[in-house]
Amino acid sequence: MNIHKRMIIFSLILVACFSALSFLNVSAQNTVINSQQTEQIRSNCASTKNTLNQLHASDALLRVNRGQAYESVLTKLLDKFNSRVSNNKMSNAGLTSVTNDYVTALDTFRLDYKTYEEHLSAAIDIDCSKEPVTFYDAVLLARTERDKVHTDVIRLNQLIDKYQVSLNQFGDDNKAAIKGINK
Amino acid sequence: MEKSTNTKKEVKISFINRHKFATMLGMSVFATSLLVFISMSMYNSSGAAQLDLSRPGYISVRNKAVKNDEDFQGFSSIGDINQKTISEFQALFTKQANKIKSVDAFGGDPLSPESLGIGVTPSDSSDTNQ
Repeated sequence: MNIHKRMIIFSLILVACFSALSFLNVSAQNTVINSQQTEQIRSNCASTKNTLNQLHASDALLRVNRGQAYESVLTKLLDKFNSRVSNNKMSNAGLTSVTNDYVTALDTFRLDYKTYEEHLSAAIDIDCSKEPVTFYDAVLLARTERDKVHTDVIRLNQLIDKYQVSLNQFGDDNKAAIKGINK
Repeated sequence: MEKSTNTKKEVKISFINRHKFATMLGMSVFATSLLVFISMSMYNSSGAAQLDLSRPGYISVRNKAVKNDEDFQGFSSIGDINQKTISEFQALFTKQANKIKSVDAFGGDPLSPESLGIGVTPSDSSDTNQ
């Protein structure tokens, strides 16, 4: 009987240790926020959700309009000019290189926006009055993803500038050929 | 004797034959569900869902989307390359580049805890929740 009691106590201690370990592991994944913040998230839950929903909609519109503009620059200007240069049998290595980088950057932008939208939607779906810490973590994750999208936009703008430089370079490099054509 | 043979035949009729209409309905529902599942997976994984402003959450911005970009003048891929064409292209390109760069898309930090009104610097209190 005595042995049984010891076994039960030992088992309970083991279970308690494992529970504590798993709890620590889960906690390590979450951001540490103080009780004041938790209360703030709970009390501002409705307004925060409203702000997130508005941002979700306005960012979607921005994605559609910006995406269309970047796409049009590629298909209606860069690709067309590169083809024309190529058709005239002129060297366009610089222009093609920038265009390829632009295509890659545009793909990254599309992918990063998708990831961002998924994270923002996930944050919106969390009940912040019941799970303030999970909500806070999800918002921070969406924020990081949004920063990536902004970086992609900056990269695309830089490539547009770079194409402009390459275009000037192309004009200088092919001055003789261009003059020849003019004759 | 003949009656007994008929009974045996009837017993042999499979479940599907006995419930043709129900089976057809079941198969139709299954095929439809499968196709809907495949198409929804493609819709979500391709990124089309993110661009679909007909979704319920986007009612407020639906009308603001640029429906066509007719004012975006393209450049012809056919023709000679001379100083004039390069200048024409540069003018078109600069116009669109300036238009694009005039908006700081996805700039700012609207998701910061401070902007959302839920931010106090973390770990500045001894009383923490995890």
